[in-house]
Amino acid sequence: MRANFIFSEVWIGLRRNLTMTIAVIVTVAVGMALLGVGLMINSQVSKLTGFWSDKVELSVYLCTKGSPFEPCKNRGAVTQDEKGTLEQTIKGLPDVERVQFENQAQAFKNFQSTESNTLLLSVTKPEDMPESFRVKLKDPEKATAVASSLKGQPGVSNVVNERDLLQSVFGFMDTLRNVALGIAILMVIAATLLIGNTVRLSAYNRRRETGIMRLVGASNIYIQLPFVLEGLIAGLIGGVLSGVILIIVKVFIFESIQTYMAAPLGWDTVAGVITGTMAIGVLICVLASFVTLRRYLRV
Amino acid sequence: MIHLDNVTKVYANQNRPALDHVSVDVDKGEFVFLVGPSGSGKSTFLRLVLKEERPNSGSIHVAGKDLSKLSNFKVPHLRRRIGCVFQDFRLLPNKNVYENVAFALEVIGKPRRFIRKVVPEVIELVGLEGKAHRMPEELSGGEQQRVAMARAFVNRPMILLADEPTGNIDPATSIGIMKVLDRINRTGTTVLMATHDAAIVDSMRKRVVELEDGKIVRDQSRGVYGQAY
Repeated sequence: MRANFIFSEVWIGLRRNLTMTIAVIVTVAVGMALLGVGLMINSQVSKLTGFWSDKVELSVYLCTKGSPFEPCKNRGAVTQDEKGTLEQTIKGLPDVERVQFENQAQAFKNFQSTESNTLLLSVTKPEDMPESFRVKLKDPEKATAVASSLKGQPGVSNVVNERDLLQSVFGFMDTLRNVALGIAILMVIAATLLIGNTVRLSAYNRRRETGIMRLVGASNIYIQLPFVLEGLIAGLIGGVLSGVILIIVKVFIFESIQTYMAAPLGWDTVAGVITGTMAIGVLICVLASFVTLRRYLRV
Repeated sequence: MIHLDNVTKVYANQNRPALDHVSVDVDKGEFVFLVGPSGSGKSTFLRLVLKEERPNSGSIHVAGKDLSKLSNFKVPHLRRRIGCVFQDFRLLPNKNVYENVAFALEVIGKPRRFIRKVVPEVIELVGLEGKAHRMPEELSGGEQQRVAMARAFVNRPMILLADEPTGNIDPATSIGIMKVLDRINRTGTTVLMATHDAAIVDSMRKRVVELEDGKIVRDQSRGVYGQAY
């Protein structure tokens, strides 16, 4: 009896305010989807950071003949003696885990496999490639200190911290995430206001009913519940839509860039994000309904 | 049943009190007319009994409960024991007679079986048998007021408050309305009716409480509306 009555009231309310209900659903769906995308980017970035921080190395490039780098000017290629001294110096540093030497042939092979510019490939010869020491650190955080201590050693052309390269990628993803979260916050505000307005309209439409309910002694829960449930249902539908959007984003965007990412975003994370955003969406709707109700429905 | 002791009510932004040190006792089963010109405090009196308003001073007891000690949470339970009828009927236009009466029971969570049993009984009591499936717009004013009375009485309240129930109804039809109120009163329900209608008050010969500028100027059993009018 009770449940029947309340659900029929909810249904009437949603139908009477169909356009507003749709507005709420769409706003919640888009807002929660953006929030979800932001969270997904966030977890992708932290996964990548974890993945790469194990692998980042310092590359200590050595002078070749005619190298344009400042330290190599007015001198020839690095000598065998210098290489030996350098290797000992690097090995002697406390933060270094291991050192690997990459000769010109290896460097050329790597270059061939990663470079796609055919013109560049055709004019580059193995002798143009710099030799280098690949230095793996015990603690990746020390990279900057180690790099600066190796810069300026005789025979060193420059030191590249791979972390710096990754940082620019992460920086871009951070920006993307912040934009998504920023828009999500605006959408949440819009959703809250819309729900407030919907509840107000709904309360106005049903003022006769609620007036009589008050008069005959219906309890506050009985009077308020249909309004809160309206918000809850709108929020739930919006949340389900945002879940669908997030699955689409995962399949079509995250999967397609996965090849570059090396640390794929798993479905378990996506499921967690969807659950979280849906819960937030529903919570916002219910709270907004409840708060506006207090203002427009005297009980 | 209704006990007002030295009650004063001043609305915000008004310097003159709507009720000024009013004390009244209404016993169980009584029929009381509340008379007086517009603005004399009749509606305020009824609103105070329903706890729609709070008095500025004085105490009100309704059905054995001290209203000042009644938490907001319990106000709905007080109102279940009080039926209300108004000048403007306040029916739901999209529900028929039966549904309008049943609504009052549905919203306080009564079981459907109970509703099916008592609603037709009350519709018969107010004299609307055979019209249960009419919509309010298909009914005359008098019939609409009978629906409102059925709704007010369906939960068998201890008190029935009627705020100018005949205000929108012609004199001939009003007699029928008063007969229904009298019938409800005879079941043991206390009836408190605010009215302007001198003919009705005179014909019923019930207790009359007259208010003027928020003060009780007359309280007379088996009274009439008053010579001044």
